[in-house]
Amino acid sequence: MKRMRFSLLAIGLVAMLALVAVACGGDNGDGDGASAGNTVQTVKDRGELKCGVKQTQPLFGFREADGTVVGFDIEFCKAIAAAVLKDHTKVEYVDASDASTRFELLAEEEIDVLIRTTTITASRDRELAVDFAQTTFFTGQGFAVRTDSGINSTSDMGDAIICVQTGTTTEQNVADHFTDIGLEYDPQGGLSADVAAAFFDGRCDVLTADASDLASRIAVRDDAADYKILPQIISKEPLAPGVRDYDSEWKDVVNWIVHGLIRAEEIGITQANVDQMASNPPNTEVARLLGVPFQGGEVAALGFDSVDPQFIQRAIKAVGNYGEIYDRTIGDNIPRACTLNDLVINNSGCPDGQGGIQYALPYR
Amino acid sequence: MAVAAGSAPPPPSNVPLLYRRGVRRLLTQGIYVAITAVVIGYIYTSLDLREFGFGFLDEPAAFKVGNQWLVDVDGVTNSRLTMYLVGVWSSLRAVMVAIALSTVLGVLIGVARLSSNWLVAQMAMLYVEIFRNTPLLVQVVLVYTVLLVGAPLIENVFNVGDFFFVSNRGMAIPWPVPDSGFWGAPEWFVWVWVAVLLLFAAAAQRVRANRQELERDTGQPHYANRWALALFAVGALVSFFALGAPVSMDLPMIVGTHYIEGMVMEPEFTALVAGLTLYTSAFIAEIVRGGIQALPKGQSEAANAVGLSGYQRLTLVILPQALRQIIPSVTNQYLNINKNSSLAYAVLYDDLFRVANIVQNKAGHALEMFFVIIVTYMLISFAISMVMNFFNARVTAQRI
Amino acid sequence: MVDMPAPNPQRIVLPPHRERARRPRIVRLREWVKRNLFHSRMGTLLTVVTAAVGALLLYGIIYFVFVDANWRVITDNRWLLFAGGYPMDQEWRLWFSVSFVFLLIGMTYGTWASLGRRDHVFIVLVSGFAILLLAHGGAALWSTLWYLIAIGLLYVGYAITIRMPREAGPRRTLQQRIVTGLLIAALPIVLIVLLAFGGARPRELDGFVLNLVLAPVGIAGGLVLAIPLALGRASRMKAISWTCTTYIEVVRGAPLLGWLFVALFILDDVIGGELIVRAMVVLAVFTAAYMAEYIRGALQALPHGQGEAAHAIGLSQLQSTQLIVMPQALRISIPPMVGQAISIWKDTTLVTVILPLRELKGNADSAIAQFEFTPDRIEAYVFVAVVFWVVAFIMSRISQRVEGSLGIGER
Repeated sequence: MKRMRFSLLAIGLVAMLALVAVACGGDNGDGDGASAGNTVQTVKDRGELKCGVKQTQPLFGFREADGTVVGFDIEFCKAIAAAVLKDHTKVEYVDASDASTRFELLAEEEIDVLIRTTTITASRDRELAVDFAQTTFFTGQGFAVRTDSGINSTSDMGDAIICVQTGTTTEQNVADHFTDIGLEYDPQGGLSADVAAAFFDGRCDVLTADASDLASRIAVRDDAADYKILPQIISKEPLAPGVRDYDSEWKDVVNWIVHGLIRAEEIGITQANVDQMASNPPNTEVARLLGVPFQGGEVAALGFDSVDPQFIQRAIKAVGNYGEIYDRTIGDNIPRACTLNDLVINNSGCPDGQGGIQYALPYR
Repeated sequence: MAVAAGSAPPPPSNVPLLYRRGVRRLLTQGIYVAITAVVIGYIYTSLDLREFGFGFLDEPAAFKVGNQWLVDVDGVTNSRLTMYLVGVWSSLRAVMVAIALSTVLGVLIGVARLSSNWLVAQMAMLYVEIFRNTPLLVQVVLVYTVLLVGAPLIENVFNVGDFFFVSNRGMAIPWPVPDSGFWGAPEWFVWVWVAVLLLFAAAAQRVRANRQELERDTGQPHYANRWALALFAVGALVSFFALGAPVSMDLPMIVGTHYIEGMVMEPEFTALVAGLTLYTSAFIAEIVRGGIQALPKGQSEAANAVGLSGYQRLTLVILPQALRQIIPSVTNQYLNINKNSSLAYAVLYDDLFRVANIVQNKAGHALEMFFVIIVTYMLISFAISMVMNFFNARVTAQRI
Repeated sequence: MVDMPAPNPQRIVLPPHRERARRPRIVRLREWVKRNLFHSRMGTLLTVVTAAVGALLLYGIIYFVFVDANWRVITDNRWLLFAGGYPMDQEWRLWFSVSFVFLLIGMTYGTWASLGRRDHVFIVLVSGFAILLLAHGGAALWSTLWYLIAIGLLYVGYAITIRMPREAGPRRTLQQRIVTGLLIAALPIVLIVLLAFGGARPRELDGFVLNLVLAPVGIAGGLVLAIPLALGRASRMKAISWTCTTYIEVVRGAPLLGWLFVALFILDDVIGGELIVRAMVVLAVFTAAYMAEYIRGALQALPHGQGEAAHAIGLSQLQSTQLIVMPQALRISIPPMVGQAISIWKDTTLVTVILPLRELKGNADSAIAQFEFTPDRIEAYVFVAVVFWVVAFIMSRISQRVEGSLGIGER
């Protein structure tokens, strides 16, 4: 009898625990619903930024042997963490390698910001629960083929097998493009790393993706000379950080961090000289950008109350300006001079018809 | 608690209402139903059902689906539902082939496990131990990678007599297609021929049964199987030519860097089917082995005593009896094949799960899509169970 | 058999089996070979063909492993593969857990079975494999040392328990209770060591560590849920049996990949919490449906007399279930349950496919995304397969040995 009472007690306890868990879960769920739209506060309360990144793309987001995630996109996660949390290591990198679930991760609050070579499009902006900040990388959809394939443009690709990443704008662009030029093709879809591997194995004739993606995957290969990227670009692919809809505070912070990093490059603030610039700003603009007083004046907060005026300064201190990020992570693998990602102010030396479009909006 | 602690039930007349068995049961179920209702209600209210509905499936797909077999949809004008059904069809194709292959391989390995030949038995054991204990996902991905890396490029395609090609773009084989016959018979005559074939099959079955009965009654050999087979073969051939040979073989060809015509088995399909087959056949082998070992030893000895050969002993005595025990477990494995086919997601094969995911990525509606996925898998499982139950009934109805 | 030597008059005639044993080894070997490999023309053909195929496969494997493959993709990335994002300065927690589990394995063997020669060979092989992997790079010495300590503890645990008396008695009962208790407590203890007191956060469980945590949680949670489910399905109360049946059939109707999809997209509205916890819940809920079916099968296989006898001696329904029926049913259902456990172990790879969680296979994908290792995909996946195989093999081996000594499945 005693034994049975005990077990009944245990069952009762378990049932109660379950009820409590359900109840707590319920509270959490409701709380999430109510607090939607204030990610800055959520991130601060949590003390950590959840950043959705790729983990399988060379140069942009991949993992090193010690388990750390590195790449161009990762630097922006660090910049945001440094700006908002004052510590660029306080980032949890959530794997968003699978393009077909990335926006759900954002919508379901698994991540605070999505920085994984995601293109801004009107339909995503409207239909999905995502909002975009300033473009970090401009590219367009290109095609990679084997050098000896004899393919020189998409008009040579009739009935070709084309490897394309599922769940992306590229998938739709290529379908639209081939409808327009009246050719048939055979799609082979999948995760971006998988389709790229399949292409290099000869599974398909053509790999289509963002030109930067193609370049990153070809540049790191020993047999890079066997492949070429066609000059033809069939789309605009501005890659930008994505944030949740209806959260303008958070979107503004992310947006102006990116602008700030570009502006820092334009006016020559680097990771190395940012401290010195902050202690002795040469002009009012630098002072404003770094959130420090100019010659004993007032600090201009510009309304960024949820963070503080020095947030861009901390971002630069953590990762350097835009150019430094580019050089450190991408470097010569994708040349920058006089291509889309060069600064507009550098265009004077470029050949006609070429030049960058990176241009920071005025921070004032 | 006091309610549950009652010991042996005394006569019902003087028992308080709360202690009566029927009342207690009713009470327990009432409480249970109430709790379940609360839980379900909680789940229901916590889901976001504001936009629940299946209208999004009718919108144009605007994506392409690869690995199409006997269908041709471009995804431009088709609805999302159509594309999903194409995915279902791709899943079915892989599941059907994997079921057939894993059954054959599983039975072979299972019998080999019990072979009197030491080497064969050891190899079979090795096979089972390896494929049963590694994740199917890794097997599928590994087979796919090996196929891509190991098979020749299309430029150096492995060519057998210009009708059979192997490259890492897949294996191309001849495939029968309906064709207008030699006296101008229309293409739909192929269906007439199929109908005639079914008739002949029924007739052959009848002949076989008659002859078997004769054999039982007279004790003389009446070659039931041979007669039935001959009747069917002659009937098939004669009707084929009488209808103007409405089928022709579509030979594969290589134009540039791709296959045209014929039937192409892409490496994605091959990898998925091979993975499912290797994995499941290891389990089926163990089931077959268990089924055989469960038979009394006397069966085998008696078969030896009446002078049956090893092959006859297996096919006439052992397997028919073992089948009774094997079929229910093997049915479970078939259902697993159906569910595991979702691993196509990892090898770029556009099965129903992947297409559903693409739709979900484009249109949202995760809950509805999940509902659709579950119902589809259940329907396929149900169909497999039905077929196997029918088969099982046939087997158990037979007196041995 | 064929030409028995003529009986020697000066020798004592032995019974046939002793006579056979006395013949020289080479003769016995020849007889064995003839009986097992070349007993007929068909058998000879089979042997030759099998041997040829086997030799070809063996050659291929040896060539791949020792000539073709670039194993640096594994050795360079061993931290990424095994622990990934787990904080590196907390490595001792991982090793401590491994050592503890090894100690328990030793104690389990010592209590219910014994290590045979094949077990020793297996341990040596796996250790060689592990040390080959660990003895590279910076912390090679420490890692190797930790591993040796863990293996040493396995033998210590074994040595202590194997010396205890095996006869039934209070000491034996006590020993069994202690080891069983430790086995039950192992999962919480390991989780505490890994996560509590300044350890990692749940989401930092990464790589192989994630597999090693997910599977036991799924199995234990599944077992806890499965027992009431099985009883519910077997219940005579319609409302209960009907809902339990629906639950079991619906869960078994869809693939795990589909249920993980639920964890990601739907469950966050229902229970919330971290994704990894939701994945654990889904694994447990999924496993429970399958385990419940095995327990139900066992319940049906029990003779009716058991329940009736319990009733006759005055046990209540609950007591009868708890003391008589369930212990027997659980015992009968151990073999299929182990099969299910191994199945869940393998299925932990699926979290990478659909969820943003990175387990061993997912981290292998990351490893081959590194510049220098893009051509080494086969090596990476072969390694993953071998690692999973080793653990699954250990699971099945331990269960076989313990089942054997408990007399489960024997009739």
